[in-house]
Amino acid sequence: MKIIVASIMLIAAFAYLFIVGVKDTSLRHFTPDQLVADAQLVDNKGVQIDGLIAEGTSQWDADNFELTFAVRDREGVGKVNVIYSNKLRPDNFKDGGTVFVEGVYDAQKNLIVASKLQTKCASKYEAAESATTQTSEAKKSTY
Amino acid sequence: MTAEIGQAAIWLSIFSCVWAVAMLVMGLRARNYNAIISGRNGVIATFVLISIATGALIYGFVTDDFSMKYVVEVSSYDQPLMYKITALWGKMSGSLLFWLWLVTLFGAIMALQNWRATDDLVDYALIPMSIVQLFFIILITGFIEGIYNPLARFPNGGVAPDGAGMNPLLQTASMAFHPPTLYIGFTSLTVPFAFAVGALASGRLGSEWLLRSRRWMLLSWLVLTVGVTLGGNWAYRELGWGGYWAWDPVENASLMPWLLGTAYLHSVMIQEKRNMLKLWNIILITLTFEFTLLGTFITRSGIITSVHAFAQSDIGGYFLSFIGLSVAGVICLIVYRWKDLKSPNRLESLLSRESAFLLNNWMLVGLTLIVLWGTLWPILSEAVTKSKTAVPETFFNQVVVIPGLLLLFLTGAGPIISWKKLTPSNFKRMFAKPIVLGVVAGGLAWGGLAWKGYKFPIYSVLCVFASVFVVAAIFDEFYRGAKLRAKRLETSTPNGLLKLVWRNKRRYGGYIVHIGIVIVYIGIMASKGYFLMESKSIPLGESMQVGKYTLTMQDAFREKYPNYSRKGVVFAVEKNGKQVATMRPARHFYYRVGQGEPDTIESAIRPFGLNDLYIALGPLPEDFDSGGLVSVQVYHNPLINVVWIGVAIMTIGGVIAMGEKHQLKKSSA
Repeated sequence: MKIIVASIMLIAAFAYLFIVGVKDTSLRHFTPDQLVADAQLVDNKGVQIDGLIAEGTSQWDADNFELTFAVRDREGVGKVNVIYSNKLRPDNFKDGGTVFVEGVYDAQKNLIVASKLQTKCASKYEAAESATTQTSEAKKSTY
Repeated sequence: MTAEIGQAAIWLSIFSCVWAVAMLVMGLRARNYNAIISGRNGVIATFVLISIATGALIYGFVTDDFSMKYVVEVSSYDQPLMYKITALWGKMSGSLLFWLWLVTLFGAIMALQNWRATDDLVDYALIPMSIVQLFFIILITGFIEGIYNPLARFPNGGVAPDGAGMNPLLQTASMAFHPPTLYIGFTSLTVPFAFAVGALASGRLGSEWLLRSRRWMLLSWLVLTVGVTLGGNWAYRELGWGGYWAWDPVENASLMPWLLGTAYLHSVMIQEKRNMLKLWNIILITLTFEFTLLGTFITRSGIITSVHAFAQSDIGGYFLSFIGLSVAGVICLIVYRWKDLKSPNRLESLLSRESAFLLNNWMLVGLTLIVLWGTLWPILSEAVTKSKTAVPETFFNQVVVIPGLLLLFLTGAGPIISWKKLTPSNFKRMFAKPIVLGVVAGGLAWGGLAWKGYKFPIYSVLCVFASVFVVAAIFDEFYRGAKLRAKRLETSTPNGLLKLVWRNKRRYGGYIVHIGIVIVYIGIMASKGYFLMESKSIPLGESMQVGKYTLTMQDAFREKYPNYSRKGVVFAVEKNGKQVATMRPARHFYYRVGQGEPDTIESAIRPFGLNDLYIALGPLPEDFDSGGLVSVQVYHNPLINVVWIGVAIMTIGGVIAMGEKHQLKKSSA
């Protein structure tokens, strides 16, 4: 009996921790297309987006220690601007590359003030697409 | 020709695997010793066949056989020999082959260790081993969309002129060894799981299966500990963001089996000592094993978009099906043995060693579930609320603190609390001194931090309190034991200490692991909670300040190497007006990665005592060596080296604990 009560209390405590954690920190996840469409809903709120670094938009401003770029949708036309200050540009940051952005969204400027930026990790287990293109290139040169 | 031999070996291994299962099942049911021997032979044959397949693939790498698809993908002519071999686990199909090879190796070791014995528990355990092997064999035969046979050649006799090669960034020693370490840790978890299934199948549900798989479990745990740490260390050294852990799904996938395995290492002791928790142990080791597969599922199926760009394929579905089937199998066996899983002993008090172990288990399992749900939150939230939300790093950092601190406290309380029921005398004798010391240290830490201007550093204070409590409690244990032994053997106390540890390797090895854990906690607390970061763009000749350090950019350099070029700057580091070091952060540009690819950060890391100074450079302008602005980010990471030292101590303790051979008492079954 004692055990059951103690267990229930523990489960409740873990559930509480989890729920409070989610409430405090969770961010709506969007693709750039969805974010542009739902812009007003999340004005001034924390969001996470994942998309591709729009070609030719990225700029490193050394004076202000600031990276600016746009994230474009994988399929659609939506674009969101991003500003990332006081941190270095991560490795593997390149035009057309995958990027994850977390930060606060300003609907009027269509701008995310990013607190975290992640590019596709330089993992051994590279994306299937790069593997297949490499092999098909290899094949092309054979036949 | 070798590739064809390897492929044939893979196909044949299906037969040897099925043979092993059939013979073992038949032999064990009919008590036919010859059939059992034949089944064991099947297990060894599978190992030989998979070794041939693996050897054929390595031969393909070494001889640059570019008619083989996999070789082309991960190797190239000019790849150094070592990386030609480590290319084995460079991508998915090779990783699966390597994984399979490890499971067959462990199966063969189990069979050989038991060769002369007539103990059928091992034979029972070889059945689930072979079933797991069969799953992986089928995955790599090439049946399945998205994964091809790692030994496959291009169709129509095509030969590529050269391989694509492995990403040069990954051609570093720590990245070469991090994946196989994790794989060895994951795959060796199959063994204790197989013993659990074997125990269920045979009905021998006493402590025997625990003792037989104890060393395997410790081995997995140790290797996983090292593997997870190597991953963090690699990220810290190579990725240039100054940290070592970011709660990425891939990191979480490796952490969860470690947490569950740690819980299991503790709960088995309750079964051994008090014959309780029989069912729980089986559930726990099953979960641990399933989580190694679940990790693969999460990271490979594409359900979670991780920054670790794993190749996505249908493989996730197969993993999920196998997880489902194996869980269902274990549940059926549990229902079948339900009566035998009841424990005769009950928990007597909530303040007892049993309860402390139970609480440890709850904390570890609770943490695992939190990490799991956090990792899967994007899918869960979409299913529940129709809108996708994700939890960032801060979520994990926030929720793990309290359970983590409680666990830390238990690290010291568990070993000193009495069995069955905590008595006032036990409390006074064992707890009083460590608690007083802990409170004093916590108070000092509070004062010190407040003096430095930190407002309410409650978690740090609790962490210091718990750490000092644990260390005091464990030292007391060592000291008491050593003195007692010295007295009995009429020798000196240090000598008594050695004898003490030697005679109880498991117990005192475990205590050393606990000391290691405390050290890791302190390192994490300091490096995560009190790091300094400065970002500034400065031209040559100017300085910047981080904490007590002044960094002056004295010089710039451009260097060329055979496969990359290196650009960077030289910093003179001064502390209190005295030059203490020069550091050379840089950026590398690898020629092979090709056009449009940016160069990469090569941070300079310099330890000062246990702290690190960490410098990373942003994109360099063309005129960086003639007055152009260089963007510099500097971290001061306090006590970060303590994390690595703590893990080293944990490893030493684990090795000592592994030294103890299991004693099989007739009465224990």
